[in-house]
Amino acid sequence: MAGKTTLTIGIEVNGEQVTHAVEPRTSLADFLRDTLGLTGTNLGCEHGVCGACTVEIDGAPARSCITLAVACDGASVRTTEGLADDPVAEELRAAFKAHHALQCGYCTSGMLVTARDIVMRLPEADEARVRVELAGNLCRCTGYMGVVNAIVAVLAARSPHPRQDP
Amino acid sequence: MTDVRPPAPRAGSRDVPGGRGVGARLPRKEDNRFLRGKGQYVANIRVPGMMEVAFVRSPVAHARVRGIVKPAGMEGRVFTMADLAGVRPIVSDSGLPGFRSSAQYPLARNKVRHVGEAVAMCVARTRAEAEDLAEQVELDLEPLPVVADMLQALEPGAARVHDHWDCNVFLDTLVDDDLAAVRANAVITVKRTLRTARQCMAPLEGRAVLACPDARLDQLTVYTASQLPHVIRTGLSECLGIDQGRLRVIAPDVGGGFGYKAILLPEELCVAWLAMRLDAPVRWIEDRFEHLSTNANCREHAYEITGYADAAGHLLAIDCDAVVDSGAYSMYPFTACLEAAQIGSILPGPYKMQRYRCHTRSAATNKSPIVPYRGVARPGVCLAIELVMDGIAREAGLEPHEVRLRKLVRPDEMPYVNITDKHFDSGDYPECLRRAVDALDIPKWRTRQAAGEPDGRRVGVGLAIYCEQAAHGTSVYAAWGIPMVPGHEQCLARFAPDGTLELRVGAHSHGQGLETTLAQVANEVLGIDPARVRVVLGDTAMTPYSTGTWGSRSMVMSGGAAASACEVIAGRVRAIASHLLEAAPADIELEDDVVRIVGTDREMPLAEIARVWYREPQRLPPDVDPAGLETTMGYKPAADTGTFSYACHACAVAVDTELGSVEILDYVVVEDGGTLVNPLIVDGQICGGAAQGIGTALYEEMPFSDEAQPLASTLADYSLPGATEIPAIRIAHMETPSPLSTFGQKGIGEGGAVAPPAAILNAVNDALAPLGALVAECPVTPDRVLDALRRAGESRA
Repeated sequence: MAGKTTLTIGIEVNGEQVTHAVEPRTSLADFLRDTLGLTGTNLGCEHGVCGACTVEIDGAPARSCITLAVACDGASVRTTEGLADDPVAEELRAAFKAHHALQCGYCTSGMLVTARDIVMRLPEADEARVRVELAGNLCRCTGYMGVVNAIVAVLAARSPHPRQDP
Repeated sequence: MTDVRPPAPRAGSRDVPGGRGVGARLPRKEDNRFLRGKGQYVANIRVPGMMEVAFVRSPVAHARVRGIVKPAGMEGRVFTMADLAGVRPIVSDSGLPGFRSSAQYPLARNKVRHVGEAVAMCVARTRAEAEDLAEQVELDLEPLPVVADMLQALEPGAARVHDHWDCNVFLDTLVDDDLAAVRANAVITVKRTLRTARQCMAPLEGRAVLACPDARLDQLTVYTASQLPHVIRTGLSECLGIDQGRLRVIAPDVGGGFGYKAILLPEELCVAWLAMRLDAPVRWIEDRFEHLSTNANCREHAYEITGYADAAGHLLAIDCDAVVDSGAYSMYPFTACLEAAQIGSILPGPYKMQRYRCHTRSAATNKSPIVPYRGVARPGVCLAIELVMDGIAREAGLEPHEVRLRKLVRPDEMPYVNITDKHFDSGDYPECLRRAVDALDIPKWRTRQAAGEPDGRRVGVGLAIYCEQAAHGTSVYAAWGIPMVPGHEQCLARFAPDGTLELRVGAHSHGQGLETTLAQVANEVLGIDPARVRVVLGDTAMTPYSTGTWGSRSMVMSGGAAASACEVIAGRVRAIASHLLEAAPADIELEDDVVRIVGTDREMPLAEIARVWYREPQRLPPDVDPAGLETTMGYKPAADTGTFSYACHACAVAVDTELGSVEILDYVVVEDGGTLVNPLIVDGQICGGAAQGIGTALYEEMPFSDEAQPLASTLADYSLPGATEIPAIRIAHMETPSPLSTFGQKGIGEGGAVAPPAAILNAVNDALAPLGALVAECPVTPDRVLDALRRAGESRA
């Protein structure tokens, strides 16, 4: 019978150090949502396909639904709540709104984490590359048009060499 | 007063620079909370003392329940239908003659009829602990013969899904006609046997229910991820046997619907019952495995369709026999037969024909029930008739658009009553088709096709055109005789003392942006800044009754109701302003947050009117309307036969005949949604719908074993299209105002999903035609392409 054994982990979440006892079977997503109350990270499939639960672990996007909380002992995690004052995320939020990159909003937190990673890691990415990079984040509402356009717009705005339209 | 005649159709403000009313490309008000992770989906609501439910579900598709053994010592935490005695089953009958009734108990009683049917309910402090408990419940099931396929279900001697029925058919419908003369005279006869796969709608948020007892109000609050909270309240009340006043249903933020959240769930009944039984908050959150393997599916159709035409390619008649796999139970409120019966009524699409015959059957099988998915039967019927039209074109030696142009209803024939008594309200269908052909540049693709691809793939082009009845109302649904018939849609509008406006409507938004578009309607009528308009949705305690958001109805119906309510408020504002400004009410205009005497600079803030009404009544005119700055108004179009938006989708694909893969090279949509209230949102709906249609056409399929075991249990097996599968869709608009709606708007929410299967299959078949191959099944997977090529090769050999 599960529910008895716990391990204590130390984890940095959105810049704050947290020490907490967790069951070994608890996912990072459930730990963030149920234990810390950070419900901005939504669960879409719980088997690592849809990308809705994407968070940053040690600076890189990761699926919080298939990451065990105990495996994050000593790690630094950033969720959508931790991006509240991030300037790149702020540019993305404005672009997502302007380009209608969200409808129901359920995939949006994960999309923003992935989008921020694309913008930071691939400043020269074109639309085709953006689509490939987004392939791990499913959206059921938008058909991706607004999401792709928003990210491309942020890349263009940040580029020191604005691309010439043909 | 609860009703007014709808205001006369009026021009929108779409040409006004910086406009914020009807026609403005306004970014959405609701985005802010979602972009900051503040969406309040049911699973994000935290209530102290909340318990969690996990269900024990049937591992087999058909069995007699001989026994359920609760784990020792856990009897108080495990519940079966025996514990729920007194809770009535979900019964959802159609009034159409011959309908066979099913009864779906919230937990199985006597028999299970599909894999995943809930048998017992376990409750614990966490979902994980509830699942631990569920694993310990023992089921004693006696397997019964399984009805796994809709066509086998219809065969004599098939096992019965419902023992007391004489066959496995919920409903048999026939639109009859004498086709003998047409058959004798037709030069071209095109026959197609088509099938579409079962699909899961897969909104990213699944279903979710949280029920909280409130002792003070003697009321149960049920939070549920639903498109129609008022209908859920009615259904819960009927099944649980408690007054509707003791139930408050709240659909908070809903993470996508698409039809999946337009049914009353057994789980909603169970959780509501349990919260009352335990006198504690209880929730159930559907996981993806439950969504894929146990809960409602959609779209599984089979067609035998024949089109008759003359030598010049004029369509003369359609004859069709269609079957829909309706699963084991009739779902509340749309029933098991809406989809098949709809096939009979909408198959002719936008075309004229002399004769039409269509026989449909809603087959009962040992699979989960079906619920209408975006477009309902339209993607299937559009596929069926558009494949026939391409077949006629091929036989006649014409381009596909040429045979269509011959039989599309023309603008000079509008309004037009078609062969199944559908009242097309307005539009120019041929022009829509021509624009799509031009936008795709079909001659360019024909040249490229003739030249051949350097990589050896084969290129094809495909078209599909449809019209979509939306916001159809009382008379249409009364004829179906289903448990829910839409009447007037209502809106409560009221100013607060600070001059902010609140609109309350009973429809819901699960991505459609009603918080923004209804605020634009208020701006159009009252001149108020949309930022100062609050739109309240989805709460039975806060909003007027509504059948909810389905059938592409909200912008016509709730938009019409919001306009009606705002018009009444505007009249009262004018009366007060005329007193304060000393002018005739007819000389007062409302614009840009001020009330002004027309043609002068004498004005005051709109908010000042509200302030005076609430806080300085001593300044009001003596004959002021005591109803004040608050009203509830109803809306129903003069004719409730529906608005008809329409669109033509045109695409070019490349087919790899070695691998069977299909790539979309270009995709064009030309759409007429009437007056567009918010073009930004309309484009989002079209593109999102088209992406789902592309999923239907190429990727999405829930396969079943011979024992009706669902074979895709994760999103790794059930393929949803991602950003690399969906092309950059090019959208062009026509805007023919509907004569029926307040601003000329037409319902467009579902349309994007309708045409892609037809357009893409036609393109694939255009590519394969020189090889004599034809694909007639959705999705067009590589296996199906290769099968079609192999069959063509065998028939040539």
